Amino acid sequence: MTPPEAAIHLTRRHFFGRGATGLGIAGLAHLLRAEAPAHSGLPELPHFAPRAKHIIYLFQSGGPSQIDLFDHKPRLDELHGTELPDSVRRGQRLTGMTASQKTFPVHRTWFDFRQHGESGAWVSELLPHTAGIADRLSFIRTMHTEAINHDPAVTLFQTGAQLAGRPSIGAWLAYGLGSENEDLPAFVVMTSRGSGRVGQALYTRLWGSGFLPSRFQGVKFRSQGDPVLFLSNPTGVSRSRRRMFLDDLMALNRIQQEEFSDPEIETRIAQYEMAFRMQASVPDLMDFSNEPESTYKLYGEDARKPGTYARHCLVARRLVEQGVRFVQLFHRGWDQHRALPEQLAKQCADTDQASAALVMDLDRRGLLDETLVVWGGEFGRTVYCQGKMTERTYGRDHHPRCFTIWLAGGGVRPGVTYGETDEFSYNAVSNPVHVHDLHATLLHQVGVDHTRLTHRYQGRQFRLTDIGGEVIRDLLT
Amino acid sequence: MPGLYTGTALFRLAMSWAVLAAGLPLLAVDFDRDVRPVLSENCYTCHGPDASQRQAGLRLDQEDQARHVAGEVLARVSSDDPSRRMPPAYLGHDRLSDRDISSLREWVEAGAPWSAHWAFVPPDPGNPPAVKWEGRVRNAIDRFVFRRLEQEGLAPARDADRRTLIRRLSLDLTGLPPEVAAVHAFVGDPAPDAYERLADRLLRSDRFGERLASRWLDAARYADTQGYQNDAPVQMWRWRDWVIESFNSNKPFDEFIVEQIAGDLLPEPTLEQLIATGFNRNHRSNSELGIVDEEYRVEYVVDRVETMSTVFLGLTVGCARCHDHKYDPISQREFYQLFAYFNNVPERGRVLRPFNSPPLIPAPTRGEARELAELDGHIAEATSEFRASREAASNQFAQWERSLAASGGSTDWYPRRGLAARYGFEGGLGDGVASGQIRYAEGRAGRALALQGEGHVEVRGIGDFDYNDRFSLGARVMPSSPHGVIVSRSEAFNTDDENAGRGVTLVLEDGRPRLKLIGRMDDWIIASAREPIPLRRWSHVAATYDGSRLAAGVTFYVDGLPVESVADLDYSNGGIRTTEPFRIGEGADAGSGFAGAIDDVVVYTRELGIDEARMLAVSENLGEIARLRPDSRTEGQALKLEHAFADMHGPRRLRTAWARLGQFRRAREALARRVSTVMIMAEMNPGRNTFILERGAYDKPGEQVLPSIPGIFDSSPESTPRDRLGLARWLVDPANPLTARVTVNRFWEMLFGSALVRTPENLGTQGERPTHPQLLDWLALEFIESGWDVKSVLKTIVTSSTYRQESNGSQDSVRRDPQNWLLSRAPRFRLPAEAVRDQALLLAGLLHERIGGPSVKTYQPEGLWFDIAAGGGYQRGRGNDLYRRSLYTYWRRTIGPPSMLNFDSATRETCTVRTERTNTPLQALNLMNDVTFVEAGRKFGERLYLEGGETIDDRLAHGFEMATARRPNAQEAEILRGAFERQLRAFRADPDAAKALLDQGESPAREGIPRIELAALSMTAGMILNLDETLTKQ
Repeated sequence: MTPPEAAIHLTRRHFFGRGATGLGIAGLAHLLRAEAPAHSGLPELPHFAPRAKHIIYLFQSGGPSQIDLFDHKPRLDELHGTELPDSVRRGQRLTGMTASQKTFPVHRTWFDFRQHGESGAWVSELLPHTAGIADRLSFIRTMHTEAINHDPAVTLFQTGAQLAGRPSIGAWLAYGLGSENEDLPAFVVMTSRGSGRVGQALYTRLWGSGFLPSRFQGVKFRSQGDPVLFLSNPTGVSRSRRRMFLDDLMALNRIQQEEFSDPEIETRIAQYEMAFRMQASVPDLMDFSNEPESTYKLYGEDARKPGTYARHCLVARRLVEQGVRFVQLFHRGWDQHRALPEQLAKQCADTDQASAALVMDLDRRGLLDETLVVWGGEFGRTVYCQGKMTERTYGRDHHPRCFTIWLAGGGVRPGVTYGETDEFSYNAVSNPVHVHDLHATLLHQVGVDHTRLTHRYQGRQFRLTDIGGEVIRDLLT
Repeated sequence: MPGLYTGTALFRLAMSWAVLAAGLPLLAVDFDRDVRPVLSENCYTCHGPDASQRQAGLRLDQEDQARHVAGEVLARVSSDDPSRRMPPAYLGHDRLSDRDISSLREWVEAGAPWSAHWAFVPPDPGNPPAVKWEGRVRNAIDRFVFRRLEQEGLAPARDADRRTLIRRLSLDLTGLPPEVAAVHAFVGDPAPDAYERLADRLLRSDRFGERLASRWLDAARYADTQGYQNDAPVQMWRWRDWVIESFNSNKPFDEFIVEQIAGDLLPEPTLEQLIATGFNRNHRSNSELGIVDEEYRVEYVVDRVETMSTVFLGLTVGCARCHDHKYDPISQREFYQLFAYFNNVPERGRVLRPFNSPPLIPAPTRGEARELAELDGHIAEATSEFRASREAASNQFAQWERSLAASGGSTDWYPRRGLAARYGFEGGLGDGVASGQIRYAEGRAGRALALQGEGHVEVRGIGDFDYNDRFSLGARVMPSSPHGVIVSRSEAFNTDDENAGRGVTLVLEDGRPRLKLIGRMDDWIIASAREPIPLRRWSHVAATYDGSRLAAGVTFYVDGLPVESVADLDYSNGGIRTTEPFRIGEGADAGSGFAGAIDDVVVYTRELGIDEARMLAVSENLGEIARLRPDSRTEGQALKLEHAFADMHGPRRLRTAWARLGQFRRAREALARRVSTVMIMAEMNPGRNTFILERGAYDKPGEQVLPSIPGIFDSSPESTPRDRLGLARWLVDPANPLTARVTVNRFWEMLFGSALVRTPENLGTQGERPTHPQLLDWLALEFIESGWDVKSVLKTIVTSSTYRQESNGSQDSVRRDPQNWLLSRAPRFRLPAEAVRDQALLLAGLLHERIGGPSVKTYQPEGLWFDIAAGGGYQRGRGNDLYRRSLYTYWRRTIGPPSMLNFDSATRETCTVRTERTNTPLQALNLMNDVTFVEAGRKFGERLYLEGGETIDDRLAHGFEMATARRPNAQEAEILRGAFERQLRAFRADPDAAKALLDQGESPAREGIPRIELAALSMTAGMILNLDETLTKQ
């Protein structure tokens, strides 16, 4: 059922269910007139034919260790315990957590690495499922950022600036491209935490609309209480009672509208109707009773539990099926300053299968072509050890100069490993990719020229990529 | 959405369309209005103020050059040859619009006249013009507005009716709708000045200050938390209350500004003037582990500059942080010259958490100040009584002294209050347990513990201090080695655990007493006495801590005298408590033990004072002291004798006086501890040097600069302000072309929904031009001349005919002036977030009106904090806390209150002087389902039942009138009644649903109302709360 059909269907159902009060008929007539003014994006967008319609961003919050997951550095076995040469560190500023450390001993990974698939991508033993789909992924090993602390680093990844106040990437897309579904928001956010340490905090600005109108901010789907804040009617108010309430409310608002020719009244009526539709569409979306057993085989048993990363991956697939433009997941807990082997293994166990399952599932349903999936954190981790040098408890500090993310689908070349790092995984040797470059590329895939999606604020045009950003054309099909 | 994507060009287009439609001649080209914006938008990036980007050495923002090349500019922009055309095609620019080119052509043909950007020129309104509708003119505002309407061939709308007016005025001036009785009184008031008196009454209401403060809090980015990462609380509500009070007392706005920017630099500043400077400490602040201190300290200074420029000057000075401003005449150097004014705060980049970081002051409320003064009075009175009774007891004292000296007994005295434990080792270990070999040695007096670097005495249940507790530790020691733990309650240091060393340790290192307060990772305070104590001799060592989370809060005493100390590490941002036992003579690590003798170990749960520390060091008991000749006693010995006498051995009168004095002192201390602090501004002396930061980076200092205002303003060396106070006075100098305009512009926006300059955050060259420049200037001058009288300027605006128009404009008005830029009718727009909630609470009779106080935690969906933040969840308040006005709602910056954010409130992360107004389904869900509004509907329903009359029609009409200030018409009344009856039928069929609905919210239901009927009435009342008209000011 397409959305307008759904609206009509709903109304008819309601109408016939209500019986023949005069207002019911009036209500129906009004409802049919009041097509919700779903924001259809800016008229000049897309700037060119998009390769993808949707983006799912699997944000791994805290800074996953590229050295222990993707960026295979066999020489570290020999160099293990030696001091990181100054020629490599080159004055990289350190966080306050290791700035007072007297030595910076190189620490190899505790985990086995193998090459996978025809592409021969290196993936560590911690991510067997991801390794299993290596040929469908495109790895960027040379992501880099300027920030060295969580708050500014995550804010940069989500909004293109380290300081608060800019719109998030999803808000830009909701603003620029609008929504494909009148019953759901264009930009949905879900957050989860791992079974290990709680992890770093998140902030609503990460899915905020900054200086764009607040209707473009991400709508957080929650696992506790209402899936969307204030979605459910209070106890004592059934759906039919709410319908009754809305019909009468609308009738009164109509009188007001006849008095004042203020288009805001029309909009308000339409938004109450959309709210009413969301009250049905969102619970439908979150109803898993029809999901076959095979789904849980694919995503893992965790996907049965609300609030888990696996469940969110499954919801992400459903959202994309419904035409939601941008789905943003955050999974916390990747900040392994200490006890990395144990903690990182837990994080991977919580996320690996579901991340891979999402890509496979989209592929199976023919959605991967039109959906760009991104996996990655806000920075990587240092080759040198933080804390004591022991194989089981070593830790790593934040590292901004190179780290690994992967992309899948949405017109990105599969089976590619992009960018080289030095033998310490400390510096990019070729093809560095800045956060702005990644943003430019994501926008490009959905048909947006990142230099032209702008909004005027404080007298100048702002954009997601600030004054930077190059599309990484080598990665595109 | 209408009005969202408007720009200058579109505006001018619309204006000229209106002009054409009216058959009037187009206005002649005006450089500042028509040409500069074209140059600014299209040329200044490469030919403007930014020296680093300037091409061909050409700048078109300066008169000489621009006029010189005007013809060439016209030729280049209109060229058909893409390789010659400007702006360059190879950079992706299209040809300028025909309209822009024709503006340039007209300008060149007129001889390229030049004028400065309007906002940098002092206001000059000219004379208010005569207009066609003289009879409608109430004050000069109307002349400027009507004149413009006349030019555009439009007419002003009629005066709105009184019901509309009183609701509009009440919402605008108090943020709340009028009571029905007030509506009726106003409607029935025959006096010609009824409206003016209404305005006066509302301006006098205490609600006025709350209403005005709401907007100011957005601008001043006021919140209750720090705003980064784990987002710990701060306490700035005393500053918020100062703002409310300032508006209510109509503090002249120039003073309001000066006190906020530089209250601390005024001569002998009052407490209130110091609190005012909290304005510049409201910025976000970072306590995250591992940040680079200077990076964030610089951010705070930048935030102050940006906020000051936006709020007072309406300039985007922040653009010049990394490079010269691209459009406005503000260079990067000038940015750092402004930065220099705010760069001398004795602060750190990594702030404490939770709560406030220095500089701060205790900021007692009026009530608290009164209580403190009362206690001071009691203390003074008790002190003189104590002195008098001591004098009266001099014979008894001498007698007591003699008997003590004669007795040869071992009576002793030491401070007992807050004493958690004392170990003299005379009778053994008390509740302590020996670990390892424990021996005894001869002490200074009696027996002492003798240790050889191993072994300790373990005590359970004492020394469990956190980093914000006050405590004192002391011992008499005779070390044989310069290293060793005296007492500790801490975890092992020698591990790789992130809690290594966690707890409290008093240790000798290199012979120097050192106190360590250690939390997680680098959350460490370490303070040391500067000088070592001698080996193999007895010394008394004590360390006290005031709970301030600062190394400066540690004081060391050696032999009873305070000694100089140094801060070795000074960050404590997390708890330090541990489950380790208290140990005497050793820490948790092997090899940490003390070598030598330890005696007279004390643990106090409070910070000892200087006299107490001195007495503690005295090893002689009372008899021994008494046997000394008075003039050969040390000061400590004499004090000890005096205290013992007053405390225990003197006559009853003296002991009573002593006890009373102690009680009052303790009461004062306890009260002072409860008083909230507020962060304020202060100056370091000498101040920091300020450097231009290359690309804005904290670690790339360039050339040094001195404080100065930008050269566009008069910044000759004589007139340039030297310090913040000078800067503040410059802001409010009548010669400053911006401050008054910016301020009245925002007042206008508050009342009309959009400002005269539609970009109130930017009056620079890239901002919009005022729709009514003369009106803006007239208001600005009026404001200055009134002595910056806020109430007066607001009254002038609201008593104008322009303000009093109907919002239901003529067809002509709506069609030809759809955005109401010309003010051909009154505006109609949704209430701000605070008012949406406050109004619902008021109508429900739930609103608890009380000015000020700590922020309150209202209803919030479960788990909102827990989902994404570290640390604990949200502890909702109870009772009245749930029903305060929304400006008192606790504001966590990283997770703002959802029912505020849903209605377009500012996020309070950075300065916000304009927010968009949107209309979303989430607002509908919020209003229908948030327990705040469901409960409000229920209580509103109750009120209608009890107060609305006998019939359902009366009750519903009353509710409608309460919400909208008008009676429903027949059609509306019928719908209301139908709605009620449908709900009633449905609830009759499902009585459980009625009960469930009436259970919503914490406030108890009134007895004696039939439940089914009440439920139906509650639903209908809830519907009234959701009416577009209820949510809208019109």
